[in-house]
Amino acid sequence: MTSMQRLRFLRRAAVFALAGFTSAAGAQDFTHKAPAQSRPIAIVGGTVHPVSGPSIPNGHVVFDNGRITAVGPGVPRLGQDVERIDATGLHIYPGLFGAITDMGLNEVASTRATIDVREVGDFTPEVRAAVAVNPDSAHFPVARSNGILTVGVVPTGGRVAGRAAVMRVDGWTWEDKTVLENAGLVVVFPRVRPVTDWWMNRSEEDQLRDIAADRRTIDTYFDQAQDYVRQRAADPARPVDQRFEAMRPFLPDASGKPAQRPILLYASDVDQIAQGIAWALDRGLRPILVGGRDAPMVAELLKTNDIPVIVTGTFGFPRRADSPHDDAFTLPLRLEAAGIRWCLASGDETANERNLPYQAAKAVAYGLSVDRAIRAITLSPAEILGVGDRLGSLEQGKSATLIVTTGNPLEITSDVRMAFVDGRRIDLSNRQIKLFEKYLEKYRQLGLIGR
Amino acid sequence: MSSRLLFGLYSFVGLLVGAVAVAGQPTSNSALSPPPNGMVKQPPDRFVLIGATAHVAPGVSIADAWVEIAQGRIVSVTDGAGRDPARIAGGARVIDYTGRHIYPGFIDAFVEIDVPAPAADAPGTHWNGAVMPQRSAVRAPGLNRDARAGLRRVGFVAANLVPRGGVFQGSSAVVSLNDPSDDRSDARPPVYLASAMQVVSFQTGSWDGGYPGSHMGAVSLVRQTLSDAHWWASPGHKEPTPEVFALIGGERGPVLMFDTNHELKILHASSIAREFRRRAVIVGNGTEYKRLAAIARDGNPLVVPLRFPKAPDVSSIGRAEAVELEELMSWEQAPTNPRRLHQAGLKVALTSSKVRNRNDFLSNLRESGKHGLTHDAALAMLTAHPADMLGVSDVLGTIERGKAASLVVMDGPLLEAKSKILDVWTDGRRHEINAAERDDLAGVWELATPMRREPARLTLNPREKKATFESGPEGEAPKLEAKNLKIEGERLSFTLSDDDVPSVIVISAVVQGGVMTGWVQIGNDPGFSFSGGRVAPLPEERKKAEEPEEKPQVPESYGYPFGPYALLETPSQESVVFTNAVLWTAGPRGVIQDGAVAISNGKIVYAGPSASLPRLDDRYRTVDLGGRHITPGIIDTHSHTGTFAFGVNEGTQACTAEVRIADAVDPGHINFYRQLAGGITTVQTLHGSANPIGGQSLTQKIRWGAHHPHDMHFQGAVPGIKFALGENVKQSNWGDRFRTRYPQSRMGVETYIRDRFLAARAYDAARRAGEQPRPDLELEALAEILRGERWIHCHSYRQDEILMLCRMAHEFGFRIGTFQHVLEGYKVAEAIKEAAVGASGFSDWWAFKWEVYDAIPYAFTLMAQAGVNASFNSDSDDLARRMNTESSKAVRYGGLSADDAIKMITINPAIQLGIDRRVGSLEAGKDADLVIWSGDPLSTLSRCEATWIDGREYYSIERDAKLREEVAAERLRITQKLLARHHKKKEKKEEPAADTPAEDDTPAPPRRSFAERRLLDQVREEYLYSFERGEDLMRGQCGICGCSHLYDAFMLSNQE
Repeated sequence: MTSMQRLRFLRRAAVFALAGFTSAAGAQDFTHKAPAQSRPIAIVGGTVHPVSGPSIPNGHVVFDNGRITAVGPGVPRLGQDVERIDATGLHIYPGLFGAITDMGLNEVASTRATIDVREVGDFTPEVRAAVAVNPDSAHFPVARSNGILTVGVVPTGGRVAGRAAVMRVDGWTWEDKTVLENAGLVVVFPRVRPVTDWWMNRSEEDQLRDIAADRRTIDTYFDQAQDYVRQRAADPARPVDQRFEAMRPFLPDASGKPAQRPILLYASDVDQIAQGIAWALDRGLRPILVGGRDAPMVAELLKTNDIPVIVTGTFGFPRRADSPHDDAFTLPLRLEAAGIRWCLASGDETANERNLPYQAAKAVAYGLSVDRAIRAITLSPAEILGVGDRLGSLEQGKSATLIVTTGNPLEITSDVRMAFVDGRRIDLSNRQIKLFEKYLEKYRQLGLIGR
Repeated sequence: MSSRLLFGLYSFVGLLVGAVAVAGQPTSNSALSPPPNGMVKQPPDRFVLIGATAHVAPGVSIADAWVEIAQGRIVSVTDGAGRDPARIAGGARVIDYTGRHIYPGFIDAFVEIDVPAPAADAPGTHWNGAVMPQRSAVRAPGLNRDARAGLRRVGFVAANLVPRGGVFQGSSAVVSLNDPSDDRSDARPPVYLASAMQVVSFQTGSWDGGYPGSHMGAVSLVRQTLSDAHWWASPGHKEPTPEVFALIGGERGPVLMFDTNHELKILHASSIAREFRRRAVIVGNGTEYKRLAAIARDGNPLVVPLRFPKAPDVSSIGRAEAVELEELMSWEQAPTNPRRLHQAGLKVALTSSKVRNRNDFLSNLRESGKHGLTHDAALAMLTAHPADMLGVSDVLGTIERGKAASLVVMDGPLLEAKSKILDVWTDGRRHEINAAERDDLAGVWELATPMRREPARLTLNPREKKATFESGPEGEAPKLEAKNLKIEGERLSFTLSDDDVPSVIVISAVVQGGVMTGWVQIGNDPGFSFSGGRVAPLPEERKKAEEPEEKPQVPESYGYPFGPYALLETPSQESVVFTNAVLWTAGPRGVIQDGAVAISNGKIVYAGPSASLPRLDDRYRTVDLGGRHITPGIIDTHSHTGTFAFGVNEGTQACTAEVRIADAVDPGHINFYRQLAGGITTVQTLHGSANPIGGQSLTQKIRWGAHHPHDMHFQGAVPGIKFALGENVKQSNWGDRFRTRYPQSRMGVETYIRDRFLAARAYDAARRAGEQPRPDLELEALAEILRGERWIHCHSYRQDEILMLCRMAHEFGFRIGTFQHVLEGYKVAEAIKEAAVGASGFSDWWAFKWEVYDAIPYAFTLMAQAGVNASFNSDSDDLARRMNTESSKAVRYGGLSADDAIKMITINPAIQLGIDRRVGSLEAGKDADLVIWSGDPLSTLSRCEATWIDGREYYSIERDAKLREEVAAERLRITQKLLARHHKKKEKKEEPAADTPAEDDTPAPPRRSFAERRLLDQVREEYLYSFERGEDLMRGQCGICGCSHLYDAFMLSNQE
């Protein structure tokens, strides 16, 4: 079953208001939050890949109170209290970063009761992803056992779907897991061209009217939000409107100072990208382009305005049957060559988020450098989603959110041996490993597999 | 045909008329008519058409012919040169067609009409409402007056009326397109053949309703019904044959007319005709050029529409980006279709049906003419061929003595752009289609008025509908252009405006005996009259720099499959030795670091260490791989590639063992090519998982560029069949409407499957006992399972259901092929090991539905370690492009060795499909199916560099690069051609179609059956739903959801 099929499944489930039967207990995992870092830790002897700089063979990373205190070659002088971890033959990378997921909002894609990704209405900026993330979702331990330590959790659907959050994969509660609550406002830019496919039951003129109407609707909505910000500034006694309050960080403030936080602007088609970016810039918004299949065609516009692109996966089909078969594989390389700032998200179902590094690898097989591919799933998404000062690379002062691997994490055959979130060494087990062990025992008892 | 001969018969006319008269002519009394209301009518019924070029048959014409007609029949066709029309005997009316062209009337072999379905509970009906051979086109009102007129307007005199809708649709009838008289006592127009053909189509039912719900289901229903009819037609039955089967008949039954809407379905129809030894005529879709070689190989007569796609919109970068190369190519190539079919030696008839606007028929025909269709071939496709196919060549198809006086009279040759149909004759009755221009009006008229000394001059050009008016002698008065010029018989009128005159001048005139008399009205003035005669012919038209008719530049060959990345020819089978390679043999020799592989005649000759490579002769080309890696071709046991457009599920019944996924595969789907680029060489194509017992599977090699779907079939693979368990088959995620089909629980799944096996066992036992049970395609397939000849590939997830099927197999004494997906198979490995050849599934997918929540990436390594033959598969056109790295997950999760991991996608799946003696490992004697990798195939950083099948290189980076260049060049060329049309100095106006009544300008879309309408609405809704949610609609991925109706909906909508 393809992801597209599963999407359909999911949709049909929504359409028919199918009652789910999943018990809440099903969507659970029993790995607990790791205790806070109690003493300094030094990982030594391994190859350190800071991402922000060149790799350091036989280097060290030292961290304390959850923050990195030293990165460098060789073994530093360490105090008595320092826990020393020998990583000889191993590699140290920053934790991997899945920029666009619905982790914790979507447990079982076909089962409606387990899904919290969309609210009613086309404009729902008031909803925030963070608050609905199920911290006990089984997806967190599965993803983190392959090195995914930070995720963007993004609501979907409608024109303005809500607010995305950056979350860490370890914590007792959603609050505990939240790194950045207002990471971005999800905006799906309206279509800009009439569709001429057979199934379209509206004439080109009607569609153009629809397109104009959609555009007016989104314009009016953002006009209102902007007016609201100004009028509240002028009259603080004015009644509160939750919707526009929620948009405040994503808009220029009352004095016209630029927006603090970005919008996640979904667009793939060349015309939609060009128009969406122009629209956002005109309003003083800070667009991050999500999808961006045709982004290389408007490279100049993106470069001039320093618009970053979140590529939603390298797995996937080319746009047309006649497109090169490797179209999706080479998009990162083409963006890189065009000088556009970009990072890579998986674009896949959350259950497959653990395979994010292999999506990056696909771009490497088709021409991208390994270093750039690693950056695309570590430092670049951190920067683009506004946590680049804290996460994404191994640098002094940054969060000790890192993984220790047996090799290049882009390789499936590399294993993640250790992972630290804010200096806390997390449990890399998960229910899948437990199930494996359970049935391994069965076959041992049956004598089919030796002890 | 010799005109002499006909001339010789001329004198016997009187004698012969009686002999050829048929019942049903409009002017004669007949047994079918009531007594006259008033006088018996005996109107004159003799005509002689003189002076025209008579195209009596394709390739045969008589200049200056006389065609004599009496009582609706052609009495003679003779050379009229030098003869005097005044001396025609018998008082026949002479019609002077000098300079005109007379053609045999056209025959439309496919015109649909509504015929009521038999009542569902009427005795003798078939259980399936779509099987209604008892319908008959002559048992319905047929075409109405407008429809007949519409067909005559484009030259048709007769039509094969086909009952619309259904799978066995009923008998067609060939009827005259003459109009009945208002007087009911006059005979009605003739029915030339009341039971012409039994019409069959692959129409599918409704979304959630009746069988068949998919194209392959429709194919099965057709086969089963034919099988039943043939069984009944065989000797030895005590009971009388049921009517529905009697009407279909056996090998000597009526000709079957298959109505299809896709070029591949033509091949399916041909296969069925061959299987049952039935004569067949196949109605196509206008896209036959896309599969020409295979269609020509089958050689059945075809009826095709002239259906040309609209020019794609490439007017902006964004719009052009949304257009497929195949759309561009189709736009360019569609007009070549009739010519290509003709050149391929096929007997073709053209139909004016299946298009948006029937009035475009002649202009489309001429477009095909520009693309190489000859006059004679076109004529044959309109006359002799359809007459022959329909079995009415005794009355129609040529202009010959004794045949119906059904003719088309044109003012120029058939394919010439400006030729118009003047008259159409049906059974001796003349229908004026377009009035001939009155040549007596054209010229310069000098018109005198009482008020002026100098006559005014009117230059009249009726053909161009233009006139200029000068109020005085040439050059002295301004030339005013006449507006609103109307010529209506003897009358004409026009308007003028002049700066000197405040109001618009209105002028009317009448011409009689060479004199024009007219009246002028200026404002409220009383007006005045004028009269005059013609003084000069039209001034010689300045020969418009008539550009010689541009010959369309259209590529002659485009290879297979039609569209991008097509191959002009099959890659050659080479003798090659690959040296300096790392061999992943997937055989007993494991991984060989310094290895060599030699291939020849499609087989592996040697695979082993370079050191022991035997001496090879000169035929072998040496390819030094410089340390690259070679694996066997990857084998994917779970593919649906190329099936979605036709429906991957026949989900309307809980058991559909009779359907074959082979009937749903489009070998030209681009995802096959993309999978070659990922190293896949063999796939098992499976039915979907909508029901406990699905359809028969198909093992194929991706021989890209195959002409016929059969060319990809893996001969010798063990036949397979899809079974399915769990959520899908109990319709858990289908919505509340789906709560009634048995089974709705895993309990019911078990008993249902047992029920079918018991039925199959009884069926098989009866056969063994020498009885002759009615062949049942469903039970045949199930009996094959029981006999171990067909392997089950069972979609399954939970351990309980897996164990259940294992026990069932034990109960009935057969071995299962594979459990598919089998994500909880790791919980019951010992049972699978006993009961099945193997287990095949996803490496690490989980949580997409409830029953896969316990899926773990260790599943297959655990099973492998417990002794199960395990493989990875894709079930996804996308995942299928990186199966090499799926096998790496067996190393990562559970620690399989790299050597064993590669077996998970090569020899293990080969064993599971029963093809391991041919493929799956690099060993001498096996098929030369192999993949060359840039590095370690288990590395995510490696890529596939070349893919070989049967010793032919079907994919390589270099080949691909060349194909990409070709794609880019073709896109550019056709896009430029389209754009250039808007930049020509003068937009060439479309030749206006022959005058058509206003009410016919926007013909209503074709009438649809209820099922068709519902289908269209539902699919449209799906798309609109996605559209409104702003989803990327994945153009070109039509049908990826497997909902099984998209393609049919698409084809239907195309006709709207």
